[in-house]
Amino acid sequence: MKMEEMSLSGLDNSKLEAIAHEIYTDLVEDACLGLCFEVHRAVKCGYFFLDDTDPDSMKDFEIVDQPGVDIFGQVYNQWKNKECVCPNCSRSIAASRFAPHLEKCLGMGRNSSRIANRRIASSNNMNKSESDQEDNDDINDNDWFYGSEKKAKKRKSDKNPNSPRRSKSLKHKNGELSSNSDPFKYSNSTGINYETLGPEELRTLLTTQCGVISEHTKKMCTRSLRCPQHTDEQRRTVRVYFLGPSAPLPEAEGSVENDSFDVAESQALMSRLQWDGSSDLSPSDSASSKTSTNNSESRKTKKKKPHLSLVGAAPGLSSNKKKKPKPPAPPTPSIYDDIN
Amino acid sequence: MNKDAQMRATINKKLIETGEQERLKELLRAKLIKCGWKDQLKAHCKNVIKEKGLEHITCSNFDDLVAEITPKGRALVPRLCEEGTFSKNKNFPCSVCQPLR
Repeated sequence: MKMEEMSLSGLDNSKLEAIAHEIYTDLVEDACLGLCFEVHRAVKCGYFFLDDTDPDSMKDFEIVDQPGVDIFGQVYNQWKNKECVCPNCSRSIAASRFAPHLEKCLGMGRNSSRIANRRIASSNNMNKSESDQEDNDDINDNDWFYGSEKKAKKRKSDKNPNSPRRSKSLKHKNGELSSNSDPFKYSNSTGINYETLGPEELRTLLTTQCGVISEHTKKMCTRSLRCPQHTDEQRRTVRVYFLGPSAPLPEAEGSVENDSFDVAESQALMSRLQWDGSSDLSPSDSASSKTSTNNSESRKTKKKKPHLSLVGAAPGLSSNKKKKPKPPAPPTPSIYDDIN
Repeated sequence: MNKDAQMRATINKKLIETGEQERLKELLRAKLIKCGWKDQLKAHCKNVIKEKGLEHITCSNFDDLVAEITPKGRALVPRLCEEGTFSKNKNFPCSVCQPLR
Protein backbone atom coordinates (compact mmCIF):
# COMPACT_ATOMS: atom_id res chain seq x y z
CA MET A 1 0.00 0.00 0.00
CA LYS A 2 2.87 2.25 0.67
CA MET A 3 4.07 2.03 -2.83
CA GLU A 4 0.72 3.00 -4.10
CA GLU A 5 0.63 5.95 -1.84
CA MET A 6 4.00 7.00 -3.13
CA SER A 7 2.83 6.58 -6.69
CA LEU A 8 -0.15 8.65 -5.93
CA SER A 9 1.85 11.55 -4.75
CA GLY A 10 4.00 11.22 -7.84
CA LEU A 11 1.01 11.80 -10.01
CA ASP A 12 1.03 14.93 -11.96
CA ASN A 13 -0.66 16.05 -15.01
CA SER A 14 1.76 14.90 -17.64
CA LYS A 15 2.01 11.51 -16.13
CA LEU A 16 -1.69 11.33 -15.99
CA GLU A 17 -1.87 12.13 -19.61
CA ALA A 18 0.72 9.55 -20.47
CA ILE A 19 -1.23 6.94 -18.62
CA ALA A 20 -4.42 7.96 -20.27
CA HIS A 21 -2.73 7.77 -23.61
CA GLU A 22 -1.53 4.33 -22.91
CA ILE A 23 -4.92 3.15 -21.93
CA TYR A 24 -6.29 4.67 -25.06
CA THR A 25 -3.75 3.00 -27.29
CA ASP A 26 -4.50 -0.32 -25.73
CA LEU A 27 -8.15 0.16 -26.43
CA VAL A 28 -7.62 1.01 -30.07
CA GLU A 29 -5.34 -1.92 -30.60
CA ASP A 30 -7.89 -4.11 -29.06
CA ALA A 31 -10.51 -2.84 -31.51
CA CYS A 32 -8.20 -3.41 -34.43
CA LEU A 33 -7.45 -6.86 -33.27
CA GLY A 34 -11.13 -7.58 -33.02
CA LEU A 35 -11.62 -6.51 -36.60
CA CYS A 36 -8.71 -8.64 -37.75
CA PHE A 37 -10.21 -11.65 -36.13
CA GLU A 38 -13.46 -11.03 -37.94
CA VAL A 39 -11.79 -10.58 -41.30
CA HIS A 40 -9.58 -13.56 -40.93
CA ARG A 41 -12.48 -15.77 -40.04
CA ALA A 42 -14.48 -14.42 -42.97
CA VAL A 43 -11.64 -15.13 -45.35
CA LYS A 44 -11.15 -18.61 -44.01
CA CYS A 45 -14.84 -19.42 -44.20
CA GLY A 46 -15.10 -17.88 -47.59
CA TYR A 47 -17.76 -15.25 -47.02
CA PHE A 48 -15.54 -12.21 -47.01
CA PHE A 49 -16.16 -11.16 -50.58
CA LEU A 50 -19.79 -12.19 -50.74
CA ASP A 51 -21.32 -8.75 -50.56
CA ASP A 52 -19.41 -7.53 -53.58
CA THR A 53 -21.02 -7.66 -57.01
CA ASP A 54 -19.08 -9.07 -59.92
CA PRO A 55 -17.83 -6.61 -62.51
CA ASP A 56 -20.21 -7.87 -65.22
CA SER A 57 -23.28 -7.05 -63.20
CA MET A 58 -21.76 -3.75 -62.23
CA LYS A 59 -21.58 -2.84 -65.89
CA ASP A 60 -25.15 -3.89 -66.56
CA PHE A 61 -26.63 -1.71 -63.89
CA GLU A 62 -24.42 1.25 -64.32
CA ILE A 63 -26.10 4.61 -64.01
CA VAL A 64 -26.89 6.12 -67.39
CA ASP A 65 -26.45 9.83 -67.78
CA GLN A 66 -27.49 10.58 -71.31
CA PRO A 67 -30.05 13.11 -72.47
CA GLY A 68 -33.45 11.78 -73.49
CA VAL A 69 -33.02 8.69 -71.40
CA ASP A 70 -33.64 7.92 -67.73
CA ILE A 71 -30.96 6.57 -65.42
CA PHE A 72 -31.80 3.02 -66.34
CA GLY A 73 -31.33 3.80 -69.98
CA GLN A 74 -35.01 3.62 -70.91
CA VAL A 75 -36.58 6.05 -73.29
CA TYR A 76 -39.43 8.04 -71.78
CA ASN A 77 -42.18 8.35 -74.36
CA GLN A 78 -41.28 5.38 -76.43
CA TRP A 79 -44.84 4.21 -76.93
CA LYS A 80 -46.43 7.56 -77.48
CA ASN A 81 -45.96 7.72 -81.22
CA LYS A 82 -46.69 4.09 -81.83
CA GLU A 83 -49.89 3.22 -83.53
CA CYS A 84 -51.88 0.06 -83.18
CA VAL A 85 -54.41 -1.43 -85.51
CA CYS A 86 -57.74 -2.10 -83.89
CA PRO A 87 -58.77 -5.70 -84.49
CA ASN A 88 -62.41 -4.77 -84.47
CA CYS A 89 -62.66 -1.87 -86.85
CA SER A 90 -59.22 -2.09 -88.44
CA ARG A 91 -58.36 1.48 -87.78
CA SER A 92 -55.00 2.75 -86.81
CA ILE A 93 -55.21 4.16 -83.29
CA ALA A 94 -52.60 5.90 -81.17
CA ALA A 95 -51.24 3.64 -78.47
CA SER A 96 -52.27 5.81 -75.56
CA ARG A 97 -55.81 6.07 -76.87
CA PHE A 98 -56.09 2.44 -77.76
CA ALA A 99 -57.66 1.15 -74.58
CA PRO A 100 -60.57 3.61 -74.43
CA HIS A 101 -61.13 3.18 -78.14
CA LEU A 102 -61.33 -0.57 -77.77
CA GLU A 103 -63.75 -0.23 -74.94
CA LYS A 104 -66.14 1.74 -77.09
CA CYS A 105 -65.48 -0.21 -80.22
CA LEU A 106 -66.27 -3.56 -78.69
CA GLY A 107 -69.14 -2.16 -76.69
CA MET A 108 -67.77 -3.63 -73.48
CA GLY A 109 -66.82 -1.85 -70.33
CA ARG A 110 -68.65 0.31 -67.86
CA ASN A 111 -68.94 3.48 -69.80
CA SER A 112 -70.11 1.88 -73.03
CA SER A 113 -72.98 0.10 -71.38
CA ARG A 114 -73.99 3.26 -69.62
CA ILE A 115 -74.06 5.17 -72.87
CA ALA A 116 -75.97 2.43 -74.61
CA ASN A 117 -78.59 2.28 -71.89
CA ARG A 118 -79.07 5.96 -72.00
CA ARG A 119 -79.42 5.93 -75.73
CA ILE A 120 -81.99 3.22 -75.59
CA ALA A 121 -83.93 5.06 -72.94
CA SER A 122 -84.03 8.33 -74.78
CA SER A 123 -84.61 6.76 -78.14
CA ASN A 124 -87.53 4.85 -76.72
CA ASN A 125 -88.96 8.05 -75.40
CA MET A 126 -88.54 9.77 -78.70
CA ASN A 127 -89.31 7.19 -81.29
CA LYS A 128 -91.77 4.97 -79.58
CA SER A 129 -94.62 5.74 -81.89
CA GLU A 130 -92.46 6.04 -84.93
CA SER A 131 -90.22 3.04 -85.08
CA ASP A 132 -89.84 -0.43 -83.73
CA GLN A 133 -88.01 -1.27 -80.60
CA GLU A 134 -85.80 -3.49 -82.63
CA ASP A 135 -84.77 -0.80 -84.99
CA ASN A 136 -83.79 1.40 -82.15
CA ASP A 137 -81.63 -1.30 -80.70
CA ASP A 138 -79.96 -1.80 -83.99
CA ILE A 139 -79.26 1.83 -84.26
CA ASN A 140 -77.78 1.89 -80.79
CA ASP A 141 -75.59 -1.13 -81.26
CA ASN A 142 -74.15 -0.39 -84.60
CA ASP A 143 -73.65 3.25 -84.13
CA TRP A 144 -70.02 2.83 -84.85
CA PHE A 145 -70.38 1.16 -88.20
CA TYR A 146 -73.50 2.32 -89.96
CA GLY A 147 -73.00 5.99 -89.44
CA SER A 148 -75.44 7.79 -91.67
CA GLU A 149 -76.60 4.92 -93.77
CA LYS A 150 -79.61 3.66 -91.99
CA LYS A 151 -81.90 6.48 -91.13
CA ALA A 152 -82.07 10.13 -91.84
CA LYS A 153 -82.33 10.80 -88.18
CA LYS A 154 -79.13 8.93 -87.41
CA ARG A 155 -76.97 9.86 -84.55
CA LYS A 156 -73.51 10.01 -85.87
CA SER A 157 -71.89 11.17 -82.71
CA ASP A 158 -69.40 8.79 -81.17
CA LYS A 159 -68.76 11.16 -78.37
CA ASN A 160 -70.80 10.77 -75.27
CA PRO A 161 -71.92 14.14 -74.04
CA ASN A 162 -71.39 13.00 -70.51
CA SER A 163 -67.91 11.61 -70.89
CA PRO A 164 -64.95 13.61 -69.68
CA ARG A 165 -63.56 13.69 -73.19
CA ARG A 166 -66.47 15.72 -74.38
CA SER A 167 -65.75 18.71 -72.27
CA LYS A 168 -62.18 18.73 -73.51
CA SER A 169 -63.12 18.81 -77.15
CA LEU A 170 -65.78 21.37 -76.48
CA LYS A 171 -63.25 23.58 -74.82
CA HIS A 172 -60.71 23.33 -77.52
CA LYS A 173 -62.88 23.49 -80.56
CA ASN A 174 -65.61 25.81 -79.41
CA GLY A 175 -68.28 23.20 -79.30
CA GLU A 176 -68.12 22.32 -82.95
CA LEU A 177 -67.99 18.71 -82.13
CA SER A 178 -71.15 18.81 -80.15
CA SER A 179 -74.29 17.24 -81.46
CA ASN A 180 -75.67 20.49 -82.73
CA SER A 181 -73.99 20.20 -86.06
CA ASP A 182 -76.18 17.50 -87.51
CA PRO A 183 -79.71 18.75 -88.03
CA PHE A 184 -81.20 15.32 -87.69
CA LYS A 185 -79.37 14.44 -84.60
CA TYR A 186 -80.51 14.73 -81.11
CA SER A 187 -78.10 14.48 -78.26
CA ASN A 188 -77.92 11.59 -75.92
CA SER A 189 -77.67 13.87 -72.97
CA THR A 190 -80.22 14.52 -70.34
CA GLY A 191 -81.49 17.42 -72.36
CA ILE A 192 -82.98 17.56 -75.80
CA ASN A 193 -82.09 20.21 -78.28
CA TYR A 194 -85.46 21.47 -79.28
CA GLU A 195 -84.34 23.36 -82.35
CA THR A 196 -83.74 20.18 -84.20
CA LEU A 197 -87.11 18.67 -83.58
CA GLY A 198 -90.12 18.95 -85.77
CA PRO A 199 -93.54 19.82 -84.40
CA GLU A 200 -94.75 16.26 -84.28
CA GLU A 201 -91.73 15.15 -82.35
CA LEU A 202 -92.04 18.09 -80.06
CA ARG A 203 -95.59 17.26 -79.27
CA THR A 204 -94.71 13.65 -78.61
CA LEU A 205 -91.90 14.70 -76.43
CA LEU A 206 -93.97 17.10 -74.45
CA THR A 207 -96.54 14.47 -73.77
CA THR A 208 -94.06 12.28 -71.99
CA GLN A 209 -91.35 14.53 -70.67
CA CYS A 210 -91.00 17.61 -68.61
CA GLY A 211 -89.62 19.60 -71.50
CA VAL A 212 -88.64 22.69 -69.59
CA ILE A 213 -85.82 24.45 -71.30
CA SER A 214 -82.80 24.96 -69.12
CA GLU A 215 -81.27 28.37 -69.32
CA HIS A 216 -77.74 27.11 -69.13
CA THR A 217 -77.84 24.50 -71.81
CA LYS A 218 -80.81 25.64 -73.85
CA LYS A 219 -82.05 22.09 -73.86
CA MET A 220 -85.28 20.52 -72.85
CA CYS A 221 -85.50 18.56 -69.69
CA THR A 222 -86.02 14.89 -70.40
CA ARG A 223 -87.16 13.92 -66.97
CA SER A 224 -90.68 12.83 -66.22
CA LEU A 225 -93.65 15.11 -66.25
CA ARG A 226 -93.41 15.44 -62.54
CA CYS A 227 -89.74 16.13 -62.29
CA PRO A 228 -88.98 18.05 -59.13
CA GLN A 229 -86.55 20.40 -60.74
CA HIS A 230 -89.16 22.31 -62.65
CA THR A 231 -92.53 23.67 -61.74
CA ASP A 232 -95.75 23.10 -63.59
CA GLU A 233 -95.74 26.72 -64.49
CA GLN A 234 -92.52 26.25 -66.39
CA ARG A 235 -93.85 23.24 -68.17
CA ARG A 236 -96.95 25.08 -69.17
CA THR A 237 -94.91 27.99 -70.47
CA VAL A 238 -92.83 25.71 -72.61
CA ARG A 239 -95.83 24.06 -74.10
CA VAL A 240 -97.49 27.32 -74.83
CA TYR A 241 -94.33 28.55 -76.41
CA PHE A 242 -93.95 25.61 -78.69
CA LEU A 243 -97.39 24.52 -79.50
CA GLY A 244 -99.34 27.72 -79.18
CA PRO A 245 -101.94 28.80 -76.65
CA SER A 246 -104.17 25.95 -77.52
CA ALA A 247 -101.49 23.52 -76.58
CA PRO A 248 -102.55 20.55 -74.60
CA LEU A 249 -101.23 21.10 -71.11
CA PRO A 250 -98.97 18.72 -69.25
CA GLU A 251 -101.73 17.44 -67.06
CA ALA A 252 -103.62 16.33 -70.05
CA GLU A 253 -100.62 14.53 -71.41
CA GLY A 254 -99.81 12.60 -68.33
CA SER A 255 -102.39 9.96 -68.96
CA VAL A 256 -101.98 6.36 -69.94
CA GLU A 257 -102.18 7.02 -73.62
CA ASN A 258 -99.21 8.85 -74.93
CA ASP A 259 -100.92 10.12 -77.99
CA SER A 260 -100.66 13.73 -78.86
CA PHE A 261 -103.66 15.62 -77.70
CA ASP A 262 -105.19 17.59 -80.51
CA VAL A 263 -107.85 20.16 -80.21
CA ALA A 264 -110.17 18.00 -82.22
CA GLU A 265 -109.45 15.05 -80.08
CA SER A 266 -110.14 16.98 -76.98
CA GLN A 267 -113.52 17.92 -78.29
CA ALA A 268 -114.40 14.30 -78.81
CA LEU A 269 -113.15 13.60 -75.35
CA MET A 270 -115.25 16.35 -73.97
CA SER A 271 -118.37 14.92 -75.46
CA ARG A 272 -117.48 11.51 -74.17
CA LEU A 273 -117.02 12.89 -70.71
CA GLN A 274 -120.31 14.62 -70.73
CA TRP A 275 -121.89 11.26 -71.09
CA ASP A 276 -120.21 10.40 -67.87
CA GLY A 277 -117.91 7.94 -69.40
CA SER A 278 -115.37 5.82 -67.64
CA SER A 279 -112.81 7.45 -65.52
CA ASP A 280 -110.09 6.19 -67.77
CA LEU A 281 -110.69 9.04 -70.11
CA SER A 282 -109.88 11.59 -67.55
CA PRO A 283 -107.05 13.67 -68.91
CA SER A 284 -106.95 15.90 -65.90
CA ASP A 285 -105.89 13.29 -63.41
CA SER A 286 -102.31 12.39 -63.39
CA ALA A 287 -101.63 8.73 -63.70
CA SER A 288 -101.09 8.12 -60.05
CA SER A 289 -103.96 10.04 -58.65
CA LYS A 290 -106.47 8.51 -61.02
CA THR A 291 -107.67 5.81 -58.75
CA SER A 292 -107.24 7.70 -55.57
CA THR A 293 -109.50 10.65 -56.18
CA ASN A 294 -113.23 10.59 -55.62
CA ASN A 295 -115.46 9.78 -58.53
CA SER A 296 -117.43 12.96 -58.41
CA GLU A 297 -114.36 14.97 -57.94
CA SER A 298 -112.69 13.39 -60.84
CA ARG A 299 -115.71 14.02 -62.91
CA LYS A 300 -115.67 17.63 -62.07
CA THR A 301 -112.05 17.98 -62.85
CA LYS A 302 -112.59 15.99 -66.00
CA LYS A 303 -115.12 18.41 -67.20
CA LYS A 304 -112.99 21.30 -66.34
CA LYS A 305 -109.96 20.11 -68.16
CA PRO A 306 -111.12 19.58 -71.68
CA HIS A 307 -113.21 22.66 -71.47
CA LEU A 308 -110.16 24.61 -70.60
CA SER A 309 -108.15 23.17 -73.36
CA LEU A 310 -110.79 24.10 -75.81
CA VAL A 311 -111.24 27.56 -74.55
CA GLY A 312 -107.67 28.17 -73.74
CA ALA A 313 -108.55 30.08 -70.63
CA ALA A 314 -107.41 29.73 -67.07
CA PRO A 315 -103.94 28.76 -67.91
CA GLY A 316 -102.88 28.32 -64.39
CA LEU A 317 -105.39 25.61 -63.76
CA SER A 318 -103.55 22.60 -64.93
CA SER A 319 -100.46 23.45 -63.01
CA ASN A 320 -102.40 23.70 -59.83
CA LYS A 321 -104.26 20.54 -60.45
CA LYS A 322 -101.44 18.14 -60.45
CA LYS A 323 -100.92 16.80 -57.03
CA LYS A 324 -102.92 19.06 -54.86
CA PRO A 325 -106.41 18.30 -53.75
CA LYS A 326 -107.08 21.91 -52.96
CA PRO A 327 -109.20 23.99 -55.29
CA PRO A 328 -107.55 25.62 -58.26
CA ALA A 329 -107.14 29.27 -59.18
CA PRO A 330 -109.88 31.89 -59.07
CA PRO A 331 -111.03 31.73 -62.69
CA THR A 332 -112.23 28.22 -62.12
CA PRO A 333 -115.50 28.95 -60.38
CA SER A 334 -116.71 30.88 -63.38
CA ILE A 335 -116.23 27.89 -65.63
CA TYR A 336 -117.92 25.78 -63.07
CA ASP A 337 -120.82 27.99 -63.39
CA ASP A 338 -120.76 27.61 -67.11
CA ILE A 339 -120.87 23.88 -66.92
CA ASN A 340 -123.46 23.80 -64.26
CA MET B 1 10.76 3.90 -13.61
CA ASN B 2 9.89 1.04 -11.55
CA LYS B 3 7.38 3.10 -9.78
CA ASP B 4 5.82 4.09 -12.98
CA ALA B 5 5.62 0.58 -14.18
CA GLN B 6 4.15 -0.47 -10.94
CA MET B 7 1.77 2.35 -11.05
CA ARG B 8 0.65 1.40 -14.46
CA ALA B 9 0.26 -2.17 -13.50
CA THR B 10 -1.87 -1.17 -10.57
CA ILE B 11 -4.02 1.00 -12.68
CA ASN B 12 -4.49 -1.70 -15.25
CA LYS B 13 -5.41 -4.11 -12.60
CA LYS B 14 -7.90 -1.75 -11.21
CA LEU B 15 -9.31 -1.14 -14.63
CA ILE B 16 -9.99 -4.76 -15.19
CA GLU B 17 -11.22 -5.42 -11.72
CA THR B 18 -13.77 -2.70 -11.68
CA GLY B 19 -14.87 -3.62 -15.17
CA GLU B 20 -13.93 -0.22 -16.43
CA GLN B 21 -11.75 -1.77 -19.06
CA GLU B 22 -14.67 -3.62 -20.61
CA ARG B 23 -16.85 -0.58 -20.45
CA LEU B 24 -14.28 1.61 -22.13
CA LYS B 25 -13.70 -0.98 -24.80
CA GLU B 26 -17.36 -1.22 -25.68
CA LEU B 27 -17.66 2.54 -25.69
CA LEU B 28 -14.79 2.96 -28.07
CA ARG B 29 -16.01 0.21 -30.36
CA ALA B 30 -19.43 1.77 -30.62
CA LYS B 31 -17.93 5.15 -31.35
CA LEU B 32 -15.70 3.75 -34.04
CA ILE B 33 -18.53 1.97 -35.78
CA LYS B 34 -20.67 5.07 -35.64
CA CYS B 35 -18.10 7.26 -37.27
CA GLY B 36 -17.44 4.67 -39.98
CA TRP B 37 -14.01 3.68 -38.93
CA LYS B 38 -14.79 0.01 -39.04
CA ASP B 39 -16.06 0.13 -42.63
CA GLN B 40 -13.08 2.13 -43.75
CA LEU B 41 -10.72 -0.33 -42.20
CA LYS B 42 -12.60 -3.25 -43.65
CA ALA B 43 -12.31 -1.76 -47.13
CA HIS B 44 -8.62 -1.39 -46.54
CA CYS B 45 -8.47 -5.04 -45.54
CA LYS B 46 -10.16 -5.99 -48.78
CA ASN B 47 -7.59 -4.11 -50.76
CA VAL B 48 -4.77 -5.73 -48.87
CA ILE B 49 -6.21 -9.17 -49.38
CA LYS B 50 -6.82 -8.58 -53.06
CA GLU B 51 -3.23 -7.52 -53.41
CA LYS B 52 -1.76 -10.33 -51.49
CA GLY B 53 -4.12 -13.00 -52.61
CA LEU B 54 -6.77 -14.81 -50.69
CA GLU B 55 -4.83 -17.96 -50.11
CA HIS B 56 -1.92 -16.09 -48.77
CA ILE B 57 -3.95 -14.61 -46.03
CA THR B 58 -5.44 -17.82 -44.88
CA CYS B 59 -2.27 -19.78 -45.02
CA SER B 60 0.10 -17.23 -43.65
CA ASN B 61 0.34 -16.13 -40.14
CA PHE B 62 -2.40 -14.15 -38.69
CA ASP B 63 0.10 -11.70 -37.28
CA ASP B 64 1.02 -10.48 -40.71
CA LEU B 65 -2.48 -9.31 -41.25
CA VAL B 66 -2.55 -7.67 -37.87
CA ALA B 67 0.70 -5.94 -38.53
CA GLU B 68 -0.70 -4.54 -41.73
CA ILE B 69 -3.98 -3.44 -40.38
CA THR B 70 -3.20 -2.02 -36.98
CA PRO B 71 -1.15 1.03 -37.89
CA LYS B 72 -3.68 1.99 -40.50
CA GLY B 73 -6.41 1.50 -38.00
CA ARG B 74 -4.75 3.63 -35.45
CA ALA B 75 -4.26 6.37 -37.97
CA LEU B 76 -7.82 6.27 -39.14
CA VAL B 77 -9.39 6.91 -35.77
CA PRO B 78 -11.09 10.31 -36.00
CA ARG B 79 -10.01 13.04 -33.66
CA LEU B 80 -13.34 13.29 -31.93
CA CYS B 81 -13.36 9.68 -30.82
CA GLU B 82 -9.85 9.97 -29.66
CA GLU B 83 -10.44 12.97 -27.51
CA GLY B 84 -13.58 11.57 -26.07
CA THR B 85 -11.91 8.41 -24.97
CA PHE B 86 -8.95 10.32 -23.70
CA SER B 87 -10.87 12.35 -21.24
CA LYS B 88 -12.50 9.25 -19.91
CA ASN B 89 -9.17 7.63 -19.55
CA LYS B 90 -7.93 10.53 -17.62
CA ASN B 91 -10.76 10.36 -15.24
CA PHE B 92 -10.14 6.80 -14.41
CA PRO B 93 -6.76 6.97 -12.75
CA CYS B 94 -7.97 9.83 -10.66
CA SER B 95 -10.97 7.93 -9.56
CA VAL B 96 -8.76 5.00 -8.80
CA CYS B 97 -6.35 7.08 -6.88
CA GLN B 98 -8.88 8.91 -4.78
CA PRO B 99 -10.13 5.98 -2.75
CA LEU B 100 -6.61 4.83 -2.29
CA ARG B 101 -5.65 8.08 -0.68
